[in-house]
Amino acid sequence: MKLSLNWIKDYVKLPDDMDLTRLAYDLTMSTVEVEGAESLAESFDKIVVGEIKEVLPHPNADKLRVCKVDVGEEDIKDIVCGGSNLYAGEKVVVACPGAMVRWHGEGEPVEIKNAKLRGVQSFGMICASVEVGLADLFPAVEEHEIMDITSFDAKAGTPLAVALDLDDIILEIDNKSMTNRPDLWGHYGIARELAALYDLPLVEFDKYVPETTETYDVRIDDTERCPRYIGARVEGLSVKPSPFEMQSRIWRVGMRPINALVDVTNYVMLATGQPTHVFDSNHIIDHIEVRRAKDGEKLQLLNDKDLALSTDDLVIADAEGAVALAGVMGGAKDSVLPDTSSVILEVANFESKGVRRTALRYDNRTEASSRYEKAVDPERCDIALSLAMKLFAELYPDMKVTAFNDQYPNKLVKKEIDVELEWLDRRLGKRIPKEVVEKKLGTMGFEVTFTDEKMHIVVPTWRSTGDVSIKADIMEEVARMYGYENFEATQITTSFDGAINQLDTDLVRKVKEYLAFRCNMQEIFTYPWMTEEFVNALLPSTDGILALATPPSPSEKYIKSSLLPNICKAIVKNERNFDEFDIFEEAQIFLDKDYTENYKNEKLPCQKRHLGCAFVGKSDDIDNLFRRAKGVIEMMPRYTHMEGFTFERNEKPYWADNVVWLNICLGGQKIGDMALLSKKAALACGIKVLSAVLVELDMDAFVPFKSRTNRYTHLPEFPMNDYDVSFLVDSMVKWDEIYACIMSKKNELLHDARFVDEYKGKQIPEGKKSVTVRLVIGSSEKTLTGAEIEAVANSVVKRLNKTFDAGVRTV
Amino acid sequence: MKDKLEALLREGTAKIQAAQTENELQEVKGALLGKQGSITGLMKELPKLDVSLRPEMGKAVNNVKNLLTEQIEGRREELKLKASEISLDFDYTIPGTKPAIGGLHPITQMCYDLNDAFRSMGFEVFGGPEITSEYYAFDNLNFPPNHPARESMDTYWLEGADSGEANEKLCLRPHLTGDSVRYMMTHKPPYRFVYPGRVYRNETTDARHERAFFQYEALIVDKDFTYTAGKVMIKSILSKVFGQDVPVRMRAGFFPFVEPGFEIDMGCLVCGGKGCSVCKHVGWIEIMPGGTPHPNVLRAAGLDPDEYTGFYVNIGLDRLVMMRYGVDDVRLFHSTDLRFLKQFN
Repeated sequence: MKLSLNWIKDYVKLPDDMDLTRLAYDLTMSTVEVEGAESLAESFDKIVVGEIKEVLPHPNADKLRVCKVDVGEEDIKDIVCGGSNLYAGEKVVVACPGAMVRWHGEGEPVEIKNAKLRGVQSFGMICASVEVGLADLFPAVEEHEIMDITSFDAKAGTPLAVALDLDDIILEIDNKSMTNRPDLWGHYGIARELAALYDLPLVEFDKYVPETTETYDVRIDDTERCPRYIGARVEGLSVKPSPFEMQSRIWRVGMRPINALVDVTNYVMLATGQPTHVFDSNHIIDHIEVRRAKDGEKLQLLNDKDLALSTDDLVIADAEGAVALAGVMGGAKDSVLPDTSSVILEVANFESKGVRRTALRYDNRTEASSRYEKAVDPERCDIALSLAMKLFAELYPDMKVTAFNDQYPNKLVKKEIDVELEWLDRRLGKRIPKEVVEKKLGTMGFEVTFTDEKMHIVVPTWRSTGDVSIKADIMEEVARMYGYENFEATQITTSFDGAINQLDTDLVRKVKEYLAFRCNMQEIFTYPWMTEEFVNALLPSTDGILALATPPSPSEKYIKSSLLPNICKAIVKNERNFDEFDIFEEAQIFLDKDYTENYKNEKLPCQKRHLGCAFVGKSDDIDNLFRRAKGVIEMMPRYTHMEGFTFERNEKPYWADNVVWLNICLGGQKIGDMALLSKKAALACGIKVLSAVLVELDMDAFVPFKSRTNRYTHLPEFPMNDYDVSFLVDSMVKWDEIYACIMSKKNELLHDARFVDEYKGKQIPEGKKSVTVRLVIGSSEKTLTGAEIEAVANSVVKRLNKTFDAGVRTV
Repeated sequence: MKDKLEALLREGTAKIQAAQTENELQEVKGALLGKQGSITGLMKELPKLDVSLRPEMGKAVNNVKNLLTEQIEGRREELKLKASEISLDFDYTIPGTKPAIGGLHPITQMCYDLNDAFRSMGFEVFGGPEITSEYYAFDNLNFPPNHPARESMDTYWLEGADSGEANEKLCLRPHLTGDSVRYMMTHKPPYRFVYPGRVYRNETTDARHERAFFQYEALIVDKDFTYTAGKVMIKSILSKVFGQDVPVRMRAGFFPFVEPGFEIDMGCLVCGGKGCSVCKHVGWIEIMPGGTPHPNVLRAAGLDPDEYTGFYVNIGLDRLVMMRYGVDDVRLFHSTDLRFLKQFN
């Protein structure tokens, strides 16, 4: 919202030497965010009034003229101009060298320089209104018309800003910072805040008392949605331009002057925050009624939108039908028309949410609706009426109010609040003198009565529509007007019950740090919704998956039941730039089942914290890719201090390759899967070249150790010996079976058997594979001799031969 | 002969020290002690001397011979240690082999930095569900029944649960504040906790607006806590995260779940408060809303607002991370683009 400082000064006498930076800062700290304070005069720097003395033809161009212009300097200047309305004696706008203007009103402002135009030296430029940003105030009738300000009694050389009385400061307020303050949406409201801030008096409006005794017929059908409606028939008017000062003020704060009748309504709204409207009274048949629209009722708005209304819309209607959309916009047919000479002035209050719904329904938010949405109080109608009548009387000395009605069936009750002084002191951390509290609150319209221990406060109507209702609100009013910066910093005190010990929270962090820093994986964030093609590629069906009512796009309605669809989407995205990468995501998944009431009064669906990983690499070495992934999962419990996992094969994941898959279990329960993404699923995802091993784990199932659990083992006193054995087995035999076989017979000297490698291919018979195992052999009592070591190895070899027909020679 | 011997010792020593390789040293050794060597030559001259002089001179020659031999062996050791087996064209300017480095998402990093800072001040870390009921997203938090934020344009309601009673209507959480009530309902005051997490709003996206973002809320509830203590808390946290003293100001602001409410600004670190394009020339950057929990919020948690009060802040992590690294498009955070994410490792 834009505000004119001059306009504000109508209502509060700010000192002339008021420091503008200070004012913007104080207002920002206490009330609303001031985003900018621009001097209007500065934008007209080096632009002055010029008087044309003579208009001569241009020697080299038919369409140009050479004007002899007095710009208040000693000599008369030559200025080349192509304007269509140049004449001797005309007062024009001259941009002197150094001024910034917009060529033909387009593009960025450019600096005017002395220049030759078709061979004639020209001093600056005679401007069209659009070139100095004044097209709204001085609309050009023809294309090449320059701005004629002869009617302004200004001497040549007078700065334009002075000549047009544009010496003003425009404040830009962030609308978001005052959505809760309906009272601030006009100059008067901000003036009231400044009065309280600087302890200055605020100008009051006189109450309008109608002279007429004739009652205008106003019927409010829905008093809930329309608490108050003032209708007044005003005669003796006409459609003409409003005075320049009124136009200028409306224009300064961002609206366009239209004609005197409309300008008065806009001026009143900008001044008081109360929207008003005028209907041509000849077009209002019989009476005004405020009612819900009939289903499908037609109305054409002032902006020519044709609406078919809903029964939730509130309309202003006459005996024949709707004439305006209440609180949003007037109808085209019955508002001000070129021959309007008498009007019905509407000053009314409409309920905020209804106005908002209607404005949104037709995508038709207006200056009026955006104010009503904030919950304007019905008593503000009084000052708006007072100002409107005053302006009509000024603009139309012959005007007469011939009928009047103020229907106020739903009277606003002022809020009353008791505040204990001891409570206020305690919360503020200091005592603020009673007089200060009384003065600040008083200027803002609060009625304060003190008793010994408390104050009784009556909240003014303009703060009673929801803004101020409890004692914390009063504390805020006192604190912000006293100045938040005038409170001394307070130390934070604390009492310790003990150290914070959050094993589950810490475990999640440890897992992520393990993956990132130990396993060199990159964490990614994805949206909670999944894209349909990935859902179809990876999940067996959409049963049990929750969906959004208003998804970001039609193909993104399902929300994560698994992290893998989004992870696969990330693979597709990165496949272009990398041919090997490992990524992970920790996020919540949601399932349409197991609704539980974990907290009072809400039953929520199953939500779990999952971990998803993808190990991505070239397709020619799946063995390595799989072992890279498996190693990360195997080592995770050890690094993160939690119960270990086991691998089983009970249930192949839908998306998994037929051969390369495992279930990950903890305490006998399946908590996740790890598998190669099947070719079919990869193609459906659009993963073209690379292969991926995916892992998904339920992190909520992880069990953190309360402390570290491993015990120290004594270092061996005598050497341990590695002894490698290679042998051939059927290629279907699994390492688990080999290991079980080796360790099946207890032997104190055999400590471990470790997988070294596996080989299939050349020199190995079809259907067989060569496996190399490293046996760890040693004694706790002595250093073993070669023969003793070999004896242990031979016993293993015998067992392998017997079980797998492994065909290894004993040593 | 004595002079000759002394000169030989001097020259020999110089030659030995001058030898730069073992081969050179070997040559020097030959020239001194070899069959044709100078010392050997002197030895051969001994018999020609007068008998009375022979023992003394013999001793002297032997002495020099031993000294030189010692020096040669010493020099040989030196050269051995100095020698490199690598040829001189070894290029030490070739870049090293980089260890593979993974990393946490930059927002996670900031979140953990804040966790560390808050935990050092005795805060617990709490987390709640991302699907919430309208009851916990709005009603408990003092949002009036028809508050605009409840409308579908701002909140992602769940299909099939987008109507009905407040405790049956479900949505992706539009903010974290509901978790504060959940925590307070299940713990005993005084409270001191943070609850970071993802939140979702149905918005049109551009470089500054996202549908999914990360917030970080902190709440203290205690008896007689003043807002100025909250200011001290914020200042301490920001100074820890940014590694320097950060000026903080609190100004009037409005949020349904606090009363009084504040907009909290930090001094612009780019220009040091002088005003620049980053801070829109005001020297301050708006980083978080905060304030005293609204009495209705405390009541929803079962506390007496006359007895308890506190302080609350809501930090937008996306914004803070953007400021930390100069990221100019918020959508990059959810882009999953490794070229972006790997820059923060």
